[in-house]
Amino acid sequence: MPPTPCALCHTNRALILRPKDHSKLCKTCFITVFETEIHHTITTNALFARGEKIAIGASGGKDSTVLASVLKTLNERYDYGLDLILLSIDEGIKGYRDDSLETVKRNAEQYGMELTILGYDELYGWTMDQVVEQVGKKGNCTYCGVFRRQALDRGAARLGVKHVVTGHNADDVAETVLMNLLRGDLPRLSRTTSIITSTPSASSDPASNTNIKRSKPLKYAYEKEIVLYAHHKNLDYFSTECIYSPEAFRGSARALIKNLERVRPSAILDVVRSGEDMAKLVPGSDEGCGGTCSSNRPVAEEEEGGCGSAAGRTVGGDMASVEKQLAQNETATNNDLEVEITSPRPSTKNGAVPLSNGKKAKKGITPKKTNKQVMGQCKRCGYLSSQEVCKACVLLEGLNKARPKNKIEVGYDVQELQQRDQGVDGVADAMQQTSIGGE
Amino acid sequence: MPGKHVASATDEVCRRCKDNISVLIVRSEPLCHECFARYVHTKAIKRLESFRVNFAASVDQQRRILLPLSFGASSTTLLHILDLHLKTQKSKTGRTGFAINVLCVDEVDQVSACASRLELVRDQYPDHDYTSLPLHHVFRLIPNDSSLGALVPSSSDDDDADSKTKLFRLTASLPSASAHADVLYTLRARLIVEYAKQNACESILWGDSTTKLAEKTLAETAKGRGFSLPWQISDGPSPMGINFHYPLRDVLKKELLSYIELAQPTLTLLVHEPSPGATQASTSSKNTTIDDLMKQYFESVEENFPSIVSNVVRTTGKLEVPASSISELRCSLCSKPVPGGRFGIHGWGGDQHDGVESPSTVIYPGQLCYGCTRSLPQTRAETRIA
Ligand SMILES: [Zn+2]
Ligand SMILES: [Zn+2]
Ligand SMILES: [Zn+2]
Ligand SMILES: [Zn+2]
Repeated sequence: MPPTPCALCHTNRALILRPKDHSKLCKTCFITVFETEIHHTITTNALFARGEKIAIGASGGKDSTVLASVLKTLNERYDYGLDLILLSIDEGIKGYRDDSLETVKRNAEQYGMELTILGYDELYGWTMDQVVEQVGKKGNCTYCGVFRRQALDRGAARLGVKHVVTGHNADDVAETVLMNLLRGDLPRLSRTTSIITSTPSASSDPASNTNIKRSKPLKYAYEKEIVLYAHHKNLDYFSTECIYSPEAFRGSARALIKNLERVRPSAILDVVRSGEDMAKLVPGSDEGCGGTCSSNRPVAEEEEGGCGSAAGRTVGGDMASVEKQLAQNETATNNDLEVEITSPRPSTKNGAVPLSNGKKAKKGITPKKTNKQVMGQCKRCGYLSSQEVCKACVLLEGLNKARPKNKIEVGYDVQELQQRDQGVDGVADAMQQTSIGGE
Repeated sequence: MPGKHVASATDEVCRRCKDNISVLIVRSEPLCHECFARYVHTKAIKRLESFRVNFAASVDQQRRILLPLSFGASSTTLLHILDLHLKTQKSKTGRTGFAINVLCVDEVDQVSACASRLELVRDQYPDHDYTSLPLHHVFRLIPNDSSLGALVPSSSDDDDADSKTKLFRLTASLPSASAHADVLYTLRARLIVEYAKQNACESILWGDSTTKLAEKTLAETAKGRGFSLPWQISDGPSPMGINFHYPLRDVLKKELLSYIELAQPTLTLLVHEPSPGATQASTSSKNTTIDDLMKQYFESVEENFPSIVSNVVRTTGKLEVPASSISELRCSLCSKPVPGGRFGIHGWGGDQHDGVESPSTVIYPGQLCYGCTRSLPQTRAETRIA
């Protein structure tokens, strides 16, 4: 059999079966088409402005490494005029980030980009190791997850950078769409489908955390293609399995996405499309444009579930607790109805229950309304939050209360915090509860 | 028939009547046979509030509903419950709130199997009207000049192919098992809607359980039809020009299976349901469909997390199509309004090609929504990569 020619140049031999659409391409054409598609995403969504300084959230992993490499290439090829820098977060877990941070340092040299590594100690006054020492191994995953979500924004604010790009890919977005359907969280589903999220610019303080724009240029790129690109470009990235197992909702959404991709390669993209369309149908979502229009949409604290959010919890744990919560709600809302229908004990000759007292049966029907999540700012740090005080600040309050001697500068006065009658564990528990409810 | 769906009997007393010994645990409540039956009936009948006996109406104004019967656990149980319900109404008031047309769609030309099954059902519930139609009649019922016909690959020799040939041509070219299942399902739904409208039925009572609705939610999301979910999950007027109701929306699939098992053996005989786990077997093969994947997924979720299944459906039910954006532009296959005329799979962010975003404002035959385009690619002539 003669070798299959590349479907694009018709000259070279096809060596790559494109995961996204199963077209057969040569290496050069694959790399070109992959880059061109991201360029297309960037231009049609007007992600960047000339002269803008962009911080690439860099972990040393494949997604952020490919993002850095592609952005450098496109910035030069199409003359975006961007000032690209790398921003890495060090959680302060001894040994954990050593290899990945080394990778990021090499990337910085390879791409000629400025690199800033910010530690949790600088951002929050606590390294994760110190947190573990304080709260024990059990509850610390809560802290890591909450801190991680804000770290990039806080870091960018420190550097005076207004725009952070992350390596979230199509698989991540699709997974989040299914996960939020499973969790029944429409507001979050709606937020996470948009390519640009941004905190409202309520504060005039340039160093404020509230002014950071976030975008995901790889939103439509398949994870498998990202791996192929990294491989064929010989990119230097740190490949490791995340040490955390995903929480059950995310884990089962991920498994579904993988299975769907096997059955129909376009399914990942199709889920993303559905997510964008459904975002327009969420009551109270003011956009009416879903992910298609690049208006500023508030980013919530918990937008990026990531994998760290449930470390230490048993798989299935979050599903079990949500199930329990939902079952309780159901019982509560059904109580009136159940009493009504069971207590009169209508004739049960054939088991049928005539609905003669019809008026009240409506109670069992869930009213058509969605609690609109009102986004405001944390009173303490200014970070976007649906609560008065953001989760990070609540956690810090607990931590700092238990260590009152060391006053820590985190950009606001910790000592001013209202002291509540909650121990460290109490705070952690409270956090757990709010996150389970899904708001 | 499924064997072990009735949780092993406990010694506990029924939590509702506090009288009988329970026979199974329903959402952590031990219930006796009678209370469980009432539990299922109540959940179904409370959804039919609007179908109470109307004493003001004259007899010839009898309201008529259509019940599509697939002989599966859900639609058969729905018929069983409605039959009981109408009998109760009749014995109490001398009349019924509505009359039932039962429609069985014969998908795979097994006319004899379908007919004999339908005879059994008719014997059991003789008070209703029964019809059986082969799936290809969808091309007959829906007017010939409709856009549906435009989807059938034409053949030079005859333009007036009969409906059977049309169905064959349409399905012969489908790219995958998923596409095949999707197109057949869509055509079946259209045939049912069309039949209901032509036979003066005001509503269609679909048999979907909670579990099925959750499957549908995720399957349609995966097929790129997230835009159409409100029309596929909600009770009430649908853009198809007829009311949709899902009376079993609050009953889990496993509860229906238990119900059948506990009911009179006659009901069991009428149900032709693949045993749970049957979908499991085919997962490795190329024939797995998106619907299979979701079915399998929710079969396992409902086992331990029934409230999560219900919550998926309840949540999806909150999606709303703003009245202002209901489009007159319809998909030629599924006939759903396509918001903003965004037909096809091109011209959106995920397309990533320099295609012009040009939503159609005119209808031309053969235009498909995003999801239907995936199942029935119209791009064979196009060179662009999807
Ligand atoms: Zn080539
Ligand atoms: Zn805060
Ligand atoms: Zn009882
Ligand atoms: Zn369609």
